[in-house]
Amino acid sequence: MNTRWELILLPSFIIVGILIVASQFIFLEGSFYKDLGLGRTGTELQLTNYIRFFTDSFYLNTLWITVKTSGLATIFTMVLGFPVAYLIARMRSRWSMLLLAGIVVATFVTIVIKVFGLIIIFSADGLINKVLMGIGIVDTPYTIIGNQTGVVVGLMHFTLGFGVLLLYSVIQTIPRSYEEAAQIHGASRWRMHYRVLLPLSLPGLTVGALMIFNMSMGAFTSAALLGGGRVFTLPVLIQRTVMMEVKYSMAGTLSAVLLVTVLLINLLSIILIRRLRSARLVIA
Amino acid sequence: MTAPVDKAAARRANEAAIIALRPKGPPPKRGLPWGRFFHIFYCSLSYIFLLSPMIVVIGASLHGGEYYTAIKFPPDEPSFQWYWKIPGDQLRALGLSFLLAGATALGACVLGIPAALGIVRGKIPGKTFISTVFRAPLQIPAIVTGIAFLQMFYLFGDATGLYLQGTFWGLYMGHVFVATPYVVGTVTAILQRFDMRLEEAAFSLGANRWSTFRRVTLPVIKPGVYAGALYAFMVSFGDVPISIFLTAPGYVTYPIELFYGLENDFDPSILASASLVIFFCLIALLAMQKLVGLDTLLRSGSR
Repeated sequence: MNTRWELILLPSFIIVGILIVASQFIFLEGSFYKDLGLGRTGTELQLTNYIRFFTDSFYLNTLWITVKTSGLATIFTMVLGFPVAYLIARMRSRWSMLLLAGIVVATFVTIVIKVFGLIIIFSADGLINKVLMGIGIVDTPYTIIGNQTGVVVGLMHFTLGFGVLLLYSVIQTIPRSYEEAAQIHGASRWRMHYRVLLPLSLPGLTVGALMIFNMSMGAFTSAALLGGGRVFTLPVLIQRTVMMEVKYSMAGTLSAVLLVTVLLINLLSIILIRRLRSARLVIA
Repeated sequence: MTAPVDKAAARRANEAAIIALRPKGPPPKRGLPWGRFFHIFYCSLSYIFLLSPMIVVIGASLHGGEYYTAIKFPPDEPSFQWYWKIPGDQLRALGLSFLLAGATALGACVLGIPAALGIVRGKIPGKTFISTVFRAPLQIPAIVTGIAFLQMFYLFGDATGLYLQGTFWGLYMGHVFVATPYVVGTVTAILQRFDMRLEEAAFSLGANRWSTFRRVTLPVIKPGVYAGALYAFMVSFGDVPISIFLTAPGYVTYPIELFYGLENDFDPSILASASLVIFFCLIALLAMQKLVGLDTLLRSGSR
């Protein structure tokens, strides 16, 4: 039984490795050529595009909007998702499978279809506006298309299902008996959550939040459709720079900034996981 | 190796212990009586938020009225008329998406299963590095992968005269690239709990290497393969950010057709086809639940 397992890994490793290195190297190298517009670039490597990015208030603002909408989406996803994950993880009936299935379907259906539904819900004569105008809260139809609220809602639809599944696995690592012990000793429900559940799940929550933040930073579809050409996040701007302005080098620079930001956040969460693992707090 | 645990028995013992240990006197405070109701109410709000867009899409697709008042929820005079009016463009896009997603799932398995076997069993230094490489496509934002592949194809085309952007194979490479990590992840998760003695037993009973793999190893890792293939399929089937760079006008996948449809004017036939896709996802999930169980799907699925 001395099969050389490491050898059968080799072909896949070479293919994936080549694709990663080639694709990433080409656009990263391209990002260092000065962009002259319309697909033409300079011939020598320089930092022009990067200097432009970090001095132009438009690009900096885009970065800020990306971080802001992603941060808000992360917070709301955690707030909406945690109670659901907790409910499913602690349920003892067969209903938990049904509830889980609902979440999984929501993660499988492409985000474009979900955005479609959102647009119908928030359209001028849609459900929300009928209710709001019926009560008299607003006079003109309220819309989420083309503003940052919409982008945040779209990002949440992109991340919520995944977030619930992530938090579900975090909560499952905390033995139920700890909570029961707290209750036997007379802790109220709220106190049990605050003093037992929260501290135990905090490491998992932190790592989960970083992953969701990362996902939101790179989310293109929901941000593009709900931003409606008025709100630009980095992924939307990247697509626009390529498709409308045909500026590959500048798009490369934007991609590089996005990539580095995301990788830094990943690094942070890996370091966090290592630390927490050595502290034996997280099994995930 | 942990011994198999009888969960039901453990739970009963646990509950018995709790009852036995419960202090005499008044029952412990259980918090506010409506705490649990509030929790359930809150969760139903989350579910409404999460599922309402899909329900609205299905509902609105049943609209029976005229074209110009077509996007309406709740629908008046429900009918299936739009389901018969799904135009050929959308059907072609759906066909391409199914083909691409199926092929992607297959390709991801071909690349992913050996990778998982090698990572778990190979005796090599730098395993962390290798598994990081296999997981890297998930860490790179999809839009960056899209533009990177597009530029790679341009350069490759300039060098060889073979332009891959806008072709099936170009799309296929991009999709397999992002789908493979899912298979690697699910199969690795299963393999780590695999009892190597099973294979040794088969081997000592005279099975050769290939039949050991086919008759012993494969059936054990099958749930992981199915789960990974399902993830790969769904990732490919719903992808926009990579496909948007690698498709060509007239040759688009279904999500891209929808994406452009949304940016322009659309009629309810799009809602009808979208509803069909939602139902397809539901059926795929149910099939997977029957085949391997939702637990396997989730335990191995986190990135």
